Amino acid sequence: MGSNTLDSSGRSQEKRSWRNVTDGRRMWLRWLPAVAAPLVIAAGALAGSLPAGASNPLPAKTPAQVLELAASHQVHSFSGTVEQSAELGLPGLPATGKPSAPAAAGSAASVIELLSGKHTARVYLDGKDNARVQVMDQLAERDVVRHGSDVWFYSSKDNTAAHVTLPEHAQDPSLSKDHHMAGVTPTPAELAQKFLAKVDPTTAVSVGPDVSVAGRAAYNLLIEPRTDATLVGKVAIAVDGENGMPLSLQVTARGADTPAFRSGFTSLSLDAPDQSVFNFTPPPGSTVKELPVPDKPRDAPDVHSPGGMHPDARKDVSVTGTGWETVLGTARGSAAAADSLLQDPLLSQAAVAVPGGRLLSTALLNVLVTDDGRIFAGMVPPERLQAAAAAAQ
Amino acid sequence: MPSSVPADIPNTAGTALPAAAPRSSGLSLLASELRVLFGRRRTWALLLALAAIPVLIAVAVKVSSAVPPGRGPAFLDRITQNGLFVAFTAMLVSVPLFMPLTVGVVAGDTIAGEASLGTLRYLLVAPAGRVRLLLVKYAGALAFCIVAPLTVGLAGAAIGAALFPVGPVTLLSGGVVQPSEAALRIVLIAAYLAVSLAGLSAIGLFLSTLTVVPVGAMAATVVVSVVSQVADQLPQLEWLHPWLFSHYWLGFGDMLRQPLAWDSFASNAILQAGYVAVFGALAYGRFVTKDILS
Repeated sequence: MGSNTLDSSGRSQEKRSWRNVTDGRRMWLRWLPAVAAPLVIAAGALAGSLPAGASNPLPAKTPAQVLELAASHQVHSFSGTVEQSAELGLPGLPATGKPSAPAAAGSAASVIELLSGKHTARVYLDGKDNARVQVMDQLAERDVVRHGSDVWFYSSKDNTAAHVTLPEHAQDPSLSKDHHMAGVTPTPAELAQKFLAKVDPTTAVSVGPDVSVAGRAAYNLLIEPRTDATLVGKVAIAVDGENGMPLSLQVTARGADTPAFRSGFTSLSLDAPDQSVFNFTPPPGSTVKELPVPDKPRDAPDVHSPGGMHPDARKDVSVTGTGWETVLGTARGSAAAADSLLQDPLLSQAAVAVPGGRLLSTALLNVLVTDDGRIFAGMVPPERLQAAAAAAQ
Repeated sequence: MPSSVPADIPNTAGTALPAAAPRSSGLSLLASELRVLFGRRRTWALLLALAAIPVLIAVAVKVSSAVPPGRGPAFLDRITQNGLFVAFTAMLVSVPLFMPLTVGVVAGDTIAGEASLGTLRYLLVAPAGRVRLLLVKYAGALAFCIVAPLTVGLAGAAIGAALFPVGPVTLLSGGVVQPSEAALRIVLIAAYLAVSLAGLSAIGLFLSTLTVVPVGAMAATVVVSVVSQVADQLPQLEWLHPWLFSHYWLGFGDMLRQPLAWDSFASNAILQAGYVAVFGALAYGRFVTKDILS
């Protein structure tokens, strides 16, 4: 595009160069949308990721008041979506290709699978007798449905269902036990209660700036261990400013910037869910297993307490240390338990050899399986586990 | 296919006279574009190839022994009990490669195909304008994105009904729906996949404005879709995953839950809209500033 054409007429030359200038400007204008579109999207994404400003700040509360608010919350019917993500430093499970891994409820691998990686679950609760948790996997789903005294487990992957009829006395305690038995993603409420129970003089409790969870303003209860001898650096619990319901839980390892474990509602509706979600009949063609009635529900393996990964491991439990430094250990070597724990391909892969045994190390929890088959676990550095193992000998 | 293109020219030339009615000109341009696209033998070959996937699956399951649960792609073990699962299995199988492949062929051909045939300048001689031509071409690609998953789903339902019993369908949540609602779910999944492919079509459209060699644009589009899916599998790139256009492609399982989960549909639509905006703007910038030489 030569603008300096040697035209005899100066006027036309001037006109042409003027046109070239406007053409060039128009060229640039035409690329403007291509520049603007990513900028607008980036700005939108940035604005969305910023913590929502405290447009309507909650009345200031002391940690004790927030704890009380949380402890006394009376929300018994809601529906919502819970997202949980954990970066515990365990080897990632392949997303596909392990046909039975997510389905076999109760096995160590399924518990670890649920406690690692990312999971989204829809939770429905109505009163104390109606509950449903849907763990939404890619092209699959795991369901736990409680309707009255009937509890159903369903896995779409292998189209299996299991049924338990709860005995009378098991109906009034909280629902949490049922969820724990199934190894299904627990709601933030259950997880937070566990941590609130730990609050004692070993722990500094404070209230941080308000946060917004699932669009609701919430108090941010910060719990920090006063000791250095634990892997846990900080626990943050978001407590709904209105009704005291725990909305999210984040556990940060000592020295880490981002939470190693987080679980929280991404959407929440306090309306009573449609009753049809609590009805479950095993679909035609599914394999239905009738599970034995749990006589003593309290003996059910509790997947969240250290050492609760295998029922056998709870025999002869020794406790050393207090508070955050607690180490649970099996007093006598039960080689069978250790063997079965390490037989799981996933666990045996993750365990590394250390002096005196093998160590399963995660960001928040360490488990030591000694050479003579004893198991020690705690949210403490591995040296403490080794010391506890040596001391118990 | 070259024979069908000249038929296009008199049509657009015919509408060139009433320049005062740009809207009707755009609509008739779209109509002729759709007529050309779906009149092409190549388009029919693509759709037939897609329809062959469920047929292949159904016949393979029919002649072989029962599939144990949990093996192979999801839903495969359900086919013998219920023929409608052929549609779900086929749509699942075709998402990673076959759909992007066919969409890549159509979207990559949009502008570059006309350029390579030398018909692009004739199209632009008509007072259609480059923006309108771009929009019409993109609309044509979108129409194919809608038709392609529907073809797989409907062919799957048809062959499944022909070879296997049809009955109530078990959803992922364990609930059971009647075949009529299952058909609705098939259409919903097709809609989900159509939305999923909108971003890729925009990328194909942009790549198509860069070259006069349609095969290059087609191949590049398919490669982009494969790269995106590979990147989506790498845990090291986790920060990038929510931004990849293929991130929600396999999320259509949410259409098979009870109650229906619309979250992934919404996230997918927003993501694809972002890709359409960015690559649409790039295609616009490139196409209106480009020297049309052929």
